[in-house]
Amino acid sequence: MVDALAAEALALGEVLLVALLLGAGLPALFALGVRALARGSATETSADGVTVRVPAARPVGRVVAAACFAVVVVVVLLGIAVIVAGGFGMALSFEDVYPTFVAEP
Amino acid sequence: MTVTIVLVLVIVIALAFDFTTGFHDTANAVATSIATGALSPKTAVLLAGVLNLVGAFLSVQVALTVTNAVVKIQAPDGAPVPGLVADGGEALLVIVLAGLSGAILWNLVTWLLGLPSSSTHALFGGLIGATVVGLGVSEVNWAGDGTGLGGVVGTVILPAVLSPVVAGLVAAVGTWLVFRITLGLAARYTAGGLRWGQIGSACLVSLAHGTNDAQKTMGVITLALIASGRWTDTESVPFWVKAACALAIALGTYLGGWRIIRTLGKGLVEITPPQGLAAQSASAAVILVSSHVGLALSTTQVTTGSVLGSGLGWPGAKVRWGVFGRMVVAWVVTLPAAALVAAGLWGFGELLGGGLPAAVGISLVLVAGSGALYARSRREPVHADNVDAPWPSSEVPPLTASDRVGV
Repeated sequence: MVDALAAEALALGEVLLVALLLGAGLPALFALGVRALARGSATETSADGVTVRVPAARPVGRVVAAACFAVVVVVVLLGIAVIVAGGFGMALSFEDVYPTFVAEP
Repeated sequence: MTVTIVLVLVIVIALAFDFTTGFHDTANAVATSIATGALSPKTAVLLAGVLNLVGAFLSVQVALTVTNAVVKIQAPDGAPVPGLVADGGEALLVIVLAGLSGAILWNLVTWLLGLPSSSTHALFGGLIGATVVGLGVSEVNWAGDGTGLGGVVGTVILPAVLSPVVAGLVAAVGTWLVFRITLGLAARYTAGGLRWGQIGSACLVSLAHGTNDAQKTMGVITLALIASGRWTDTESVPFWVKAACALAIALGTYLGGWRIIRTLGKGLVEITPPQGLAAQSASAAVILVSSHVGLALSTTQVTTGSVLGSGLGWPGAKVRWGVFGRMVVAWVVTLPAAALVAAGLWGFGELLGGGLPAAVGISLVLVAGSGALYARSRREPVHADNVDAPWPSSEVPPLTASDRVGV
């Protein structure tokens, strides 16, 4: 029972860490993308609500935004892969860095 | 012959439970998206329903041993305990029937009150209650088999305490980050951009719900089939069982448990798009990660914790603690309450002499009770058109009077 509790605590710590990374990190990244996209547009609104014209669109913003969204989409697809794999009695393994389907332990 | 009728009743009632699981848990996936306007109420429940259907069909893995978590009516391979099927399985079927009926009635009571309580806890509670009176306290699996955390303590109590804490923490951090990053941006950027993030995470939660929760009913129905000698394979579930369960949970989800959606989306926290995104992402991440490492957290409690966390993550966000208090009470009470109802139903069946009369009697009580609860809900209906109405200034009453029709 004590061993089981220790194992559970470890699993919980693991869950918390990964969940923080994904559950808080991804929306933050997504928000960064939204912000970058706004900077990539030709107008920008300052904090007091006044629309300011900037001289030209900033393509860098668009590139950064695209990169942020791409990472988010890839991780979400991985999430779907985890669900699907679980349904088929498989698990997603990251041992080879790129994800592979393996039989559930 | 009588066993066949009892079996049919068990299957119908199991599907009814699956249906209540659907509409009881719709809120988990869509409440925040509806509250922030990312999705219209009807689109949201349609999306969640379809993804639940897809998710349920994706669950190829057998959940046949689902009752093993809390009671000892199945051997480790999923077959019923031999002593229980000596009479053709009737005694076991009546216990399962009473358990399911107790779970349904409790799900309806909490739905009427607009409280997000765990459908899994209701199912486990019902099974425990019926088992205690039908077979004795010793047949309840209190603490697992010692090889890991199992039983009532490991699969019900610990996760119930941990889920909201973990999810709340993740959502609070996420909310703070998203608010911080989008601070000062024009609403047209944040509303449009954050909307897609919310929709994506709502889809993930729906899909995960379909794969996890429809399986439980599939397992219970297959157990009933095995107990009555209609199915022998403990490795797979008959296809019609899978299809029926998938349809039942999807239809329930599509119906939309508007009362609960309202509490979770409007009542607990006044949710803004950044909070919606953070809460929903936290829910999806915590559910997926925990099931990946084999830690079974409750979807309902994770979602509620996330919404609460999103209310705590940014100074000035408003949390209605009175509403949260009511939810916590519902969480604590769900398992014992469903157990009491199921035990009472089983006792009632025993008075009728057990077997077929008991099964018919319990079913009639279930129908009457459900009808009464539904009739009560019509007095203050909550539906797609008023689910987003402003929360009344007094904290507790979750419902608004309305003459419109809806569920």
